[in-house]
Amino acid sequence: MSNVNISMLKGIVGDAFVIDSPSEMANYLKGQGKPAVVVLPGNTSEVSSIVKLANEQNVKLAVGGAVADTQGITGGIAMVMSRMNQILEMDHMNLVAVVEPGVLHKDFLLKVTEAGLNFPPEPYELETSSVGGCFAIGDSDSKSFEYGPTRTFLLGFEMVLPTGEILDIGNKCIKNVSGLDFIHFAVGSQGTFGIFTKLLVKLLPAPEAKKAVIGTFASMHKANATFNTLIKRNVLPTRMNLINASLAKNAKPGTEGQFVIIDLQGFKESGKNIANEVAAVLTLGGGSDVKIIEDEVEYEQVINGWLKVRADLNSKPEQTVEFAVGPMKMPQALTQLEALTGDLGAYPGVIVEGLLGFVGLALPEGTDKLDLARKVNKLAMSLGGNVKGLLGHKLKAEVYNDAEMWKQTASLLSELRQQFDPKGILNPGVSLEP
Amino acid sequence: MLSQTVVKRLKEIVGEKNVVTDKVGLLTYGYDGTLLSGEALGVVSPTTTEQVVEIVKLMNEHDIKLVPRGAGTNESGGTIPSQDSVVISFTKMTKIHEIDTENFVAVVEPGVINFDLQVELEKKKFYFPPDPSSFKASTIGGNVGECSGGPKCFKYGVTRDYILGLEVVLPNGKVIQTGGRNFHSEPGYDLTRIIVGAEGTLGLVTKVFVRIIPMPRAKKTMLAIYDKVEDASQTVADIVAAGIIPTTLELMDNLLINTTEDFTHAGIPRDAGAVLIIEVDGYPEDMDGQVKTIGEIASKIAKEFKVAQSAVEVDQIWTSRRSAFGSVARVRPSYGVNDITVPRSNFPKAIGGVLKVAKDFGVTIGVVAHAGDGNLHPLILFDQRNKEETETVHAAEQALCMMALDLEGTISGEHGIGLVKKKYLDKEFTPAAMEAFRKVKRSFDPSNRFNPGKVIDL
Repeated sequence: MSNVNISMLKGIVGDAFVIDSPSEMANYLKGQGKPAVVVLPGNTSEVSSIVKLANEQNVKLAVGGAVADTQGITGGIAMVMSRMNQILEMDHMNLVAVVEPGVLHKDFLLKVTEAGLNFPPEPYELETSSVGGCFAIGDSDSKSFEYGPTRTFLLGFEMVLPTGEILDIGNKCIKNVSGLDFIHFAVGSQGTFGIFTKLLVKLLPAPEAKKAVIGTFASMHKANATFNTLIKRNVLPTRMNLINASLAKNAKPGTEGQFVIIDLQGFKESGKNIANEVAAVLTLGGGSDVKIIEDEVEYEQVINGWLKVRADLNSKPEQTVEFAVGPMKMPQALTQLEALTGDLGAYPGVIVEGLLGFVGLALPEGTDKLDLARKVNKLAMSLGGNVKGLLGHKLKAEVYNDAEMWKQTASLLSELRQQFDPKGILNPGVSLEP
Repeated sequence: MLSQTVVKRLKEIVGEKNVVTDKVGLLTYGYDGTLLSGEALGVVSPTTTEQVVEIVKLMNEHDIKLVPRGAGTNESGGTIPSQDSVVISFTKMTKIHEIDTENFVAVVEPGVINFDLQVELEKKKFYFPPDPSSFKASTIGGNVGECSGGPKCFKYGVTRDYILGLEVVLPNGKVIQTGGRNFHSEPGYDLTRIIVGAEGTLGLVTKVFVRIIPMPRAKKTMLAIYDKVEDASQTVADIVAAGIIPTTLELMDNLLINTTEDFTHAGIPRDAGAVLIIEVDGYPEDMDGQVKTIGEIASKIAKEFKVAQSAVEVDQIWTSRRSAFGSVARVRPSYGVNDITVPRSNFPKAIGGVLKVAKDFGVTIGVVAHAGDGNLHPLILFDQRNKEETETVHAAEQALCMMALDLEGTISGEHGIGLVKKKYLDKEFTPAAMEAFRKVKRSFDPSNRFNPGKVIDL
């Protein structure tokens, strides 16, 4: 039984923006949970009123950009930010934009590019990711070596706290160390500290030139060996990524073998020389069909192919294991990994972000994820790395045999969450206990 | 006074020579880069994480607060001992555990001096981008505490952008690790980010995983000389508009041109209104194009523009900038460094604002600025022994902070808050933001044991 007061919600946002017919609701939801209602706020004060209502009535509230995750909110409210989709300001002089959270990541990229500027974070999901979601997830991606992780691009925000209060923080200064760094702390908190209602985003000038070098390899090991050669030669591109044969076709139809994408964003002059150097290294390393891509349309196709593969992996976190090691430790990592997974080329999915020493695995049906993650973590730790994020942290403490450290970290995380959300209203689907 | 029992226990933990309780010794740890001072009950210098844990537990048993300290070069009062506190000095934790250039990471203890790390990295053609002007003396732990900046922030960012992970002793004496050796190690929340810049109020950092990067293959240093400060700001705006991100855009005004000339004899005309030091780095083949563009932009308004032709010339240019703070001592015995930042577009207004403050309060102010970041360091020159003048200076400093906030800026670009700016913090942040800071502090340190009274009050 739902105890959500639908008429009060309608009073806040208007009848048209409260949806409670299951068939219509489905357009805004993902996951197995069954919220009582979907609500689409149009401004910050409506968001605040909805959160206050949820507090008063003690119902759970999940938030999404275009689509909300329903986990843990059966009977509660799903709030979708898609109506708050305006780019409020594009400030060239200060290289910042002021953006509402529901602006789609892809639309934002389009506008930023039109303005001759650059917003480096990759979209988490191609079609439905929003800018608010980008910072709520706050990941790093295959461009982070050059540009820094997603958090680097947030200078401030307006946020509705889990109690309904509105918090405004930050300014257009690119250098700001005032107060505690709540600005960057909020990035990646997945909406547990609050709901972004406005974002002050840092931008960069667009690179003068973009090029890509692609090639295919018979084995993952050979392909990855060329990455080590490049790092040793101090060639550090914008992206240095590898997709195994099973997924390569999704990135570029017709691809046979393991697919390498080297992205070079920078200046025209050096770009030419580096592209040639990269192409030579790939060819000497056993690559076939090595090609330098200068055509803009073709370049975009290649990069979008990568983003699509990445997004597919992002969309199934429960069937994914991700880890990182030192970039130059990748040869050992892949060899040891193969002992666990069998032929890496044939595995359902393996991606490597070479500059970050990152590996993403798409697991075969029926894999015991935790068991594999535990083994992968041991492997990664022996090479100076770890399984990603919270799960990795817990597994690391296990390896150290340090239950105390895990207990401390976990209690600190839950204390922080509790301080901000005393009633445990917001985004219950986000678990701080892997 | 510390009881004999506590002193005895401290000496057992860290060894006799690493505990200071005599008056003279305590005095020397009572200062930092500000004019403030305080006196601790004792100073203890641990050499291992285990010792830090023991100290924290002992202090908790006796309800004594802890104030962490590196080299004490900060400009915020962040290391000034509060009453009834023991200073925990990290200057004896100076091991560089590891420099792994292949994997872009170094692991260091907090007491390692920034410069010492840079020297080791340089041997391998690597570096750690944050290099605050104090880098010859300041520690990595201190840089983490204050989230220091430096002249390269426009392109490379501040300390927080180069910290991958931390080992932290919490106020309850437990040890956690935040982050790790890569961008994928934060446990759910980005704990590293909230600890960097928290000035030791949330935890004591005992190990730092820093991101290191290869030194740029090429670098070009340029100098532009202007009649007026406004002209220099115009060049900054035009360079950014041309899509170039220099590593450095350092500005000095007429007063500092003269004080540094007295010392360096670099040959900058003494009647110039401002100089701009511009540096770009990257691939050698991209240098000429950028230098040409910058030269065209600058020459439109600058009275002189030159490109350093040799390492000696580069050094000469930088000596002026690096000696700027010290050089003013020839004019007046004391100076107060301010650290305000405004959005780049408001930089000319901020320069105007500084001039107005100087006039309104009748004080002498010289300006050094990281102009690309909109970060200004107005130096107020005075004599600390003159009480009345000192009070005027404090009033002028407050006026500078308020001016920055009026221009939608911040009261701290790279020096932190500490004690000096705590009183203005609620002018920059709304009550909800202040409360968010307190929520964070309460989560880590509910009993307010670590560096109490710095940044925020509970």
